Amino acid sequence: MEKINKIFSNILRLIALAATVVAIVFMVTSHGSAQVLNLTFTAKYSYTPAFKFFVIGEAIAGGYTIISMLLSFKTQFWRLIVILDMVATVLLASSISAALAIAQVGKKGSTHAGWLPVCGQVPDFCDQVTIALIAELSSSGHSFLLQAM
Amino acid sequence: MALQNEDKLEVGYSSLHPKPKKWVLLMLRLLAFFATAAATVVMGLNKETKTLVVATVGTTPIKASLTAKFQHTPAFVFFVIANGLASIHNLVMIMADLFGQKLDYKGLRLAMIAILDMMTVALVSGGASAAAFMAELGKNGNSHARWNSICDKYKTFCDHGGGALIASFAGLILMLIISVMSIIKLLIKPKPDDELESTGLIPSGVNACRFNSELGKNGKSHARWKKIC
Repeated sequence: MEKINKIFSNILRLIALAATVVAIVFMVTSHGSAQVLNLTFTAKYSYTPAFKFFVIGEAIAGGYTIISMLLSFKTQFWRLIVILDMVATVLLASSISAALAIAQVGKKGSTHAGWLPVCGQVPDFCDQVTIALIAELSSSGHSFLLQAM
Repeated sequence: MALQNEDKLEVGYSSLHPKPKKWVLLMLRLLAFFATAAATVVMGLNKETKTLVVATVGTTPIKASLTAKFQHTPAFVFFVIANGLASIHNLVMIMADLFGQKLDYKGLRLAMIAILDMMTVALVSGGASAAAFMAELGKNGNSHARWNSICDKYKTFCDHGGGALIASFAGLILMLIISVMSIIKLLIKPKPDDELESTGLIPSGVNACRFNSELGKNGKSHARWKKIC
């Protein structure tokens, strides 16, 4: 029973790690540019602190997942792993919420603040960011399920 | 003589198990409740109105009033909802701790508390970080997207929002500690019977059943005493 539990939780960690890596890759390589009246308008992930936080949070959580997969074969650290699992889940939930909030403003704009939506001009950038967000959603879901084990 | 033995056994038992004391968890939950409730209320009542003179017709100026409300931004709406749910959760947990000690569902009380705590922590962390980045955008704007900052026009709105954010982050840290304590409480495995005998507290061969009525006030944590019967 303990063995099955351990194998199942390692599989969950592996899936969460894979989704995290996909999210990071798609966010970092997202790039879009548009030409409006002789002005080039580029969009990169590093222009927004929310997306930078997203990438950094994902990287930390992904690194933690690798370490915890290696550490789960020794049973004396279980309390530390429980605490750090919780911190990693909170970090993942945090990063995806932040990126989602800013992406929502970028897509719909905000009439009250006078902010125009950006997605119409750089659709490629928006698509890649959307894929990164969906991958991250699955990663944080698996990380949350992991805690219940 | 028998009474002295039972007293000694009771004292020995409580020093054998250094579980986190109950009042620490209760205090933490109370503080977290206050923090999240404060964040909800401050952001929920966040509103600022500015009147500008738009044009002058003859001698009467035409005024237009612009308001900044928290409902305009979905991130702040999510923030208010998440903190509201978290404060309700904390209140329910405090009530269950104080008045509902006997409530149990098939022995899953600790597991349910731990799972609910985890869910609330994830929710509050999401709400707090979304509102934090939206506030940063409002304060600094984004030159690449041609978005202007709004904080210089609506200073009180930004200040109140910042205060609500600080309260929410304090509540988040407290709830993280509470959640870790709940999970560890769930995972502490009770010691096996032969270990207790080897400590010398139970003389071997003595029927330990009659200690159940004195020590067994919290039925669950003394489960292994009942096993001896």
